[in-house]
Amino acid sequence: MAKFVTIGERLSTTAPAVNKAFTERDPEPILKRAKQQLDAGATYLDVNIGPAENDGEDLMKWAVKLLQSEFDNVPLALDTTNMKAIEAGISVYNRAKGKPIVNSADAGDRIANIDLAAANDAIVIALCSSGMVAADNDERMMHCQNMLERGMMLGMEPTDLWFDPLFLVVKGMQDKQMEVLEAIKMFSEMGLNSTGGLSNNSNGMPKHIRPIMDSALVAMCMMQGLTSAIVNPNDLRLMETIKSCDIFKNNTLYADSYLEI
Amino acid sequence: MPFNQKPQKFNAKINTVTIGSGDKTVALGGNSTFPFYSFDAPTENTAKVGVEITDMGLEGVSEGIKAYYEGATTMADIAKKAAAMEGADFVALVLEGGDPNGENKSVDELIAIVKEVADAVDCPLVVEGCKNVEKDAELLPKVAEVLQGRNVLILAEKEENYKAIGAAAGLAYNQIVGAESAVDINLAKQLNVVTTQLGVNAQKIVMNIGSACAGYGYEYVVSTMDRIKGAALGQNDNMLQMPIITPVASETWGVKEASASEADMPEWGPQDERGIDMEIMTAAADLAAGSDAVILRHPQSVATISKMIKALA
Repeated sequence: MAKFVTIGERLSTTAPAVNKAFTERDPEPILKRAKQQLDAGATYLDVNIGPAENDGEDLMKWAVKLLQSEFDNVPLALDTTNMKAIEAGISVYNRAKGKPIVNSADAGDRIANIDLAAANDAIVIALCSSGMVAADNDERMMHCQNMLERGMMLGMEPTDLWFDPLFLVVKGMQDKQMEVLEAIKMFSEMGLNSTGGLSNNSNGMPKHIRPIMDSALVAMCMMQGLTSAIVNPNDLRLMETIKSCDIFKNNTLYADSYLEI
Repeated sequence: MPFNQKPQKFNAKINTVTIGSGDKTVALGGNSTFPFYSFDAPTENTAKVGVEITDMGLEGVSEGIKAYYEGATTMADIAKKAAAMEGADFVALVLEGGDPNGENKSVDELIAIVKEVADAVDCPLVVEGCKNVEKDAELLPKVAEVLQGRNVLILAEKEENYKAIGAAAGLAYNQIVGAESAVDINLAKQLNVVTTQLGVNAQKIVMNIGSACAGYGYEYVVSTMDRIKGAALGQNDNMLQMPIITPVASETWGVKEASASEADMPEWGPQDERGIDMEIMTAAADLAAGSDAVILRHPQSVATISKMIKALA
């Protein structure tokens, strides 16, 4: 089995400092956050430029070139609702360290992002929802099937669709957590890859609690067969948990210094 | 239905490590397939064969080996003949006389031999210590120092002395660091991790993951090598992508099947033949399991294994 893929989530316009740096094309804060995430062990970096309706294409190109030239063609997830911006980003993207990830498609309004990924030989994150959170796993798996078929019809490898069950917040949807875990198991049994914004589970919880909840959940998810997650790689407890689970799953070979690499 | 070949492709490869300087260099590793799987992808570098000589000269070697070196009276003579052996890619000098439980030669005495050998041949060199961790920690940094510029492989640092040997060979004197573990896959990886943490370039490390003579717990060697290549290629584990070198001769010539004289064991036949058989069997198995280089002693073994490598390339 391949090592668990972490996608670092800290380059996002939801962070005011990042938003400002993107707007002003200021490399320094972007590179600093990118380095922190890579040093902590992130495989991919998510580049969330927000809706970027005006200058999305220019901005995504700038960000892709900036990050890949500084960090040896680091693989990236291109994250925006602006499809033209994603295509522009892919046009300057170097695949030496991995295909670009289109973040993201769903089974509703954003299904065309699967077409975009297929046309550009990219990976796509496929949210198993259509506008609203799926009511149950029957609905989740129906969305999964529909998106899988669409991708395959367009010539994609099934493993290039990374299915996102949609992680749900514990405070409010505690009774749905096991369903999400069961969906991951179903993806895994179909031989599919999966990912998602795992830390959503601990939204609204005190800061010192969140790493504990996130770590517990990632361990349970990896047991179910989750192959990737969009996370904060600078959460040490979480990364230690992922590295340890990779050992138990025989995804990486144990050495006493395994947490340091 | 026509046969449809599906090559096993890896997005990873074993590091290429070059030993030697000037025109005379050999490259170890560099491949992205399991050993001899040239049908999956072209072979970047074939496996290499080294000839073992020791500071003890021809003391204790078999008659056939003695015959090959006939007329060689100094270490320089022996080194030249070793380098000229058919199929030889490099010479490996073992400083076994340094062992405090054996001859206990002084570091100065051994360094003089190292210099004599290095001056006599311009082929790539591997220098092995005496296996005593304290003595090697003193001896091998000196070897690395006096051979500056020759880009030699220093065998080997171990868990107990990696700081002294790794830092001297890999940092101070810019040689290739050999990292030795004893058929322990987790330790093999750990040693690479801590060596790179010292600051040694991962591209300048070669592993000796340990060996055994065929028939002497050899299955563990195979599974360890196989697992290392699997993790290096299949999991793209860059802490296991160092090429593997295996000193075969020192294992095989020590077992009773190879060392018992014909006078003691007439029913076993000539000693030389038995020794060659053990050396060839073990080396062939090591290469098939994942060694990128083997170190042998008998000229017939060197020629045979070298021929096998070429035939399977």
